[in-house]
Amino acid sequence: MHTYTSGGNILAFNIIVLVKQIIDIDQIRNDPKTGEPLLQNIPLRIENLSKNAIEAGVQLKEKSGGKVTCIIFGTDKANAAMKEAYAMGVDEGYIIKGYKGNNPQRTAKILSEKIKALGNNSVIILGNQSADSYTGMLPGMLSSMLDIPLLGNAVSIEADGNNLKVKRVLDESDEIISSPAPCVISVTQEINQPRLPPVLQIMAAGRKPINMEDAKDEDVPVPKVLSNLAPKSERKREIYEDVDKGVEAVAKAIRGEIR
Amino acid sequence: MKFLIFAEDSKNAGGIASKLRDSGDVHAIIMKDQVEASSSYGIKKIYGLTGKPFADNVAESITKLNPSSFDLLVISSTTLGREVAGIISAKQNLLCATEVFDFTLQNGKIVTKRFFYGGKTIMEEESEAKIITVTPGSFDPQNGEKTSEFEDIQLPQSKVNLIETKPKEKSSTNIEGANIIVSVGRGIGKKESIDKIMPLVEATHGELAGSRPVCLDYKWLSEERQVGLSGKKVKPKVYIALGISGQIQHIAGMRGSKIVVAVNKDKDAPIFQESDYGIVGDIFMVVPKLVEALKK
Repeated sequence: MHTYTSGGNILAFNIIVLVKQIIDIDQIRNDPKTGEPLLQNIPLRIENLSKNAIEAGVQLKEKSGGKVTCIIFGTDKANAAMKEAYAMGVDEGYIIKGYKGNNPQRTAKILSEKIKALGNNSVIILGNQSADSYTGMLPGMLSSMLDIPLLGNAVSIEADGNNLKVKRVLDESDEIISSPAPCVISVTQEINQPRLPPVLQIMAAGRKPINMEDAKDEDVPVPKVLSNLAPKSERKREIYEDVDKGVEAVAKAIRGEIR
Repeated sequence: MKFLIFAEDSKNAGGIASKLRDSGDVHAIIMKDQVEASSSYGIKKIYGLTGKPFADNVAESITKLNPSSFDLLVISSTTLGREVAGIISAKQNLLCATEVFDFTLQNGKIVTKRFFYGGKTIMEEESEAKIITVTPGSFDPQNGEKTSEFEDIQLPQSKVNLIETKPKEKSSTNIEGANIIVSVGRGIGKKESIDKIMPLVEATHGELAGSRPVCLDYKWLSEERQVGLSGKKVKPKVYIALGISGQIQHIAGMRGSKIVVAVNKDKDAPIFQESDYGIVGDIFMVVPKLVEALKK
């Protein structure tokens, strides 16, 4: 392990990446009659932005030294995801079992307790919004529960001594912001291209031990799901393979709207 | 009832206020430069934030107004808004319903609707959430009668240091407010082909938009023109999808359109299932014909 030294002090980051395992939402089909999502036999995968988070953590270690620890709050099926994280360069992994579905308050409590247990001065890296539920709550919640600054929506991370510098992308502007560690950094898809690990690393990852723990019960409110169905589409679906007829129909339909 | 809104801009503050004001008093916290534009939406009290907003100092300012004394805190779900919602929800231990595009208040509870599984389903939930984040553009701003009181709030110091701000080039793009949208996907093949689409944009007096690959991956169009779950949610009178396959994430961004027209050379493209009118054919052959037909 290579460490970053500055003025005689060893400044190696304690990098923690938070990874979510989700069902492969692209493979979900809905029952055409009831509109219910058919979830049986759909494989699990690492959530896309979690891969960006792993890559960002490993790149930070490669440049500035330190150690990358991965935490997955998931189920006993999360081993495959952790092995993938190991193959990408994660040094140590914890799977906390007991994920019971989308509940950011519960997830943030469980993750923040584990992060505290792992020690101080950590740089916590996670995706800004996961592809299945899209809540976007975790970065803010964790920064609040851990009482450390949030460098959110990062498209780049640079370390300078103990300082982390991030390019944050907003609708109206791009900002360069910074904070010393410890801090929370949420990343976007644009930050990097997650690496495809070589076969040897994948094999080595398979032999690496994974720490398994059980989540404590947290007393948090759980919303009642009234329904979760495919949106009804009431489109006309007049499809023309004859271009001229199609153009005529479209022109007629939209002419009144474009004036 | 009493509501508190946090939105960065006047349109979303106004949209949420229009949805809420018949049920009670609406207070809103917005950026100072948006205060004037927000004064016509029947908001009882408008707080204008001055200074540089970060997630922590905005959350602190909202917390000082005691959000739990309101029946509901509604936050416009921008990058900053989501961060602020997370901080307040954690700090005040208040349940937050997220990325809501519609909601109703009933008997002290709230029923919220959001997309789930990446847009494959709509999840309807009932909870006692005291905070909700609302997808921008979900509600139309309509003028209200109540006159507003004003107060400025100076944002406190953030724990985050700002080194540099680069404003993005101001463009006149506002696809969220457009009546007609001509939207292009990967099927146009290359950036230069956009020129061939422009006559249709002009003939329809529309705005040009694009799918995620076009705006983010290939950067043929700027990010602010991206329609989809991770981009802008639009609801024009006419949405014309050219060479867009119709991934569910895209559909989630344009589902509110009144009339959807799709042109795609693949007759099995999922976009046709979400269209009122579809033409199976080459975009570059269809577009000039359509321009011609619209001139008649």
